[in-house]
Amino acid sequence: MSAATSPGGAGKPVVIHDASLRDGHHAVRHQLDREQLRAYARAADIAGVPVVEVGHGNGLGASSLQVGQARLGDDEMLSIVREALRDSRMAVFMLPGWGTTADLERAIAHQVDMVRIGTHCTEGDLAERHLGFLREQGVEAQAVLLMSHMASPDRLARECAQLVEFGASAVGIMDSSGHYLPADVTERIGAMREAVDVPVMFHAHNNLGMAVANSIAAVEAGADILDACARGFGAGAGNTQLEVLVPVLERMGFSTGIDLYGLLDAADIAERELMPAPPTIDSVSVVSGLAGVFSGFKNRVLDVSRREDVDPRDVFFELGRRQAVAGQEDLIIEVALALKAARGA
Amino acid sequence: MKQNGRLPVAVLGAGLIGVDLAEKIMRSELLDCGLVVGRDENTPGLRQAAELGLPIGTRGIESLLEAPEPFAIVFDATNAMAHAEHAERLSLSGTKLVDLTPSKVGRMVIPSVNGEEVLSSDDINMISCGGQASIPILHAITQTHRVDYVEVVTTAASPSVGRSTRLNLDEYIETTQDAVRDFTGVKDVKAILNISPAKPPATFRVAMSMLGEGFGTASVNAAVEAAADRVRSFVTGYRITACVVEETKVFVAAEVTSSGGRIPKYAGNLDIINSAAVHVAERCAAAGLASIGTETS
Repeated sequence: MSAATSPGGAGKPVVIHDASLRDGHHAVRHQLDREQLRAYARAADIAGVPVVEVGHGNGLGASSLQVGQARLGDDEMLSIVREALRDSRMAVFMLPGWGTTADLERAIAHQVDMVRIGTHCTEGDLAERHLGFLREQGVEAQAVLLMSHMASPDRLARECAQLVEFGASAVGIMDSSGHYLPADVTERIGAMREAVDVPVMFHAHNNLGMAVANSIAAVEAGADILDACARGFGAGAGNTQLEVLVPVLERMGFSTGIDLYGLLDAADIAERELMPAPPTIDSVSVVSGLAGVFSGFKNRVLDVSRREDVDPRDVFFELGRRQAVAGQEDLIIEVALALKAARGA
Repeated sequence: MKQNGRLPVAVLGAGLIGVDLAEKIMRSELLDCGLVVGRDENTPGLRQAAELGLPIGTRGIESLLEAPEPFAIVFDATNAMAHAEHAERLSLSGTKLVDLTPSKVGRMVIPSVNGEEVLSSDDINMISCGGQASIPILHAITQTHRVDYVEVVTTAASPSVGRSTRLNLDEYIETTQDAVRDFTGVKDVKAILNISPAKPPATFRVAMSMLGEGFGTASVNAAVEAAADRVRSFVTGYRITACVVEETKVFVAAEVTSSGGRIPKYAGNLDIINSAAVHVAERCAAAGLASIGTETS
């Protein structure tokens, strides 16, 4: 990629993990079809994006009323993307308690190159068995901690060290609520970097407009892998915008190996083919970031709030007070009913 | 060899489940807890059992096989992988097993639905906490309505989920799904488990969603209330927190608080499966269907 560079990155490689076809599913109620998956996977492959993640927004086995039923089954999504990728590696995501080892076996049959096992940030030991299974199968397994703003840097570092013992080849954190400011990221990634010898990953959400800045803070604190999505295609306010992050990294002297024009073409295809409109930081997304609630709750909160005639901002703040975590969408109805009852009282 | 007319039983496994179970058995008028077995006397569970004045063993299944007299009922509170071996090794002794792991080995029981039918089985399986909390409701609704899809989302507080459960998430999901299929006759079933890290810890809950046809608010509410009443007869902290009925979709949520003892109030997951297990064992005892040694009493 040719652009003016500064020496800060000193040519250090950063692995870009493209989650558009997994996290983007949150923005379109998990309704991506065959042509959409194929078109974007091909474009990302041509651009030289090293890793393309695919699946339901909540990962393998997660299609459900609780978080949304996907248009396509896991098998079909994986076979389409597998066929579309020549050089990029194919990744999937799985949350223990949602998917099982049987789902991992099917993903392996589709020749998945890498699996990410996710848990809530304080519950890393839920990943022990699945990381062990993947290691036995010889499949690269990364471990990621969700809703990471809910734990201290020290706790995250200890969880990461334990995940490495379980067999994780890389460990990382997700800012699932888009709650961090850069200093928060620096402190957490720094603590994790001290605690483990494997690559460290960071995944940002853009609720407070900080996704690119937070990602930069992460690499400067020692992160090796950054997640991003074309046009920020992701839950709520969206994720780190891929085609912005990559040139920023290159200008700073980090090396991504991605072709700029190919990347911009892929982002244009994403905007045209995958989404009604690119994610924006709307008012509800600001509130969800402030409240520290999973960005993926947005569409369900809006649906339920409309039905029960309550203010979605109140619903988000109350979910934050109850410390709801990713996957607890069933609480949205209870919170809305409680707010409605309190108003009627 | 009934002790004061009570049936001799033992608890295998001294984790979060095992110790609460031992304490519940101590309150039973029909059961006598003769042994709590773990692997290491320095674990908190075995220490607590000893503090309660209960005999303890530290050699796992061996401790049970070495007991001078076989127990009429052994509660298996270890883990799903270990249960098959425990069942095999105890099979010659004539001991009845009440299995609290999601092993799928024994006959599955939901006390308020098929409690009477399973009493003569040698190995009775308690399915899972989520199964015990949801299936009574799901069974009641599917008896009187056409249901095509069932989903059960369980949320348990992090401190109430012990190591065995954490390693057995796959078994938890598969066993819960199988049991829901079995008891409701609905083929398309999904079970999900969330662990909540909230502080103070969140109360155990189960959210049930059903897709079908011709749901009516009155008929669904009636089925749900009647089923909840039956569960409450032995799990006092069971309550329905939401019931939203649409033409083709029903959402019901239930919460369970623990009814006392040393487990905290939020840990309804431990309370409901242990209360159900003790309830089943008491019914076996009352029916004279756990007969080890009783001929000599």
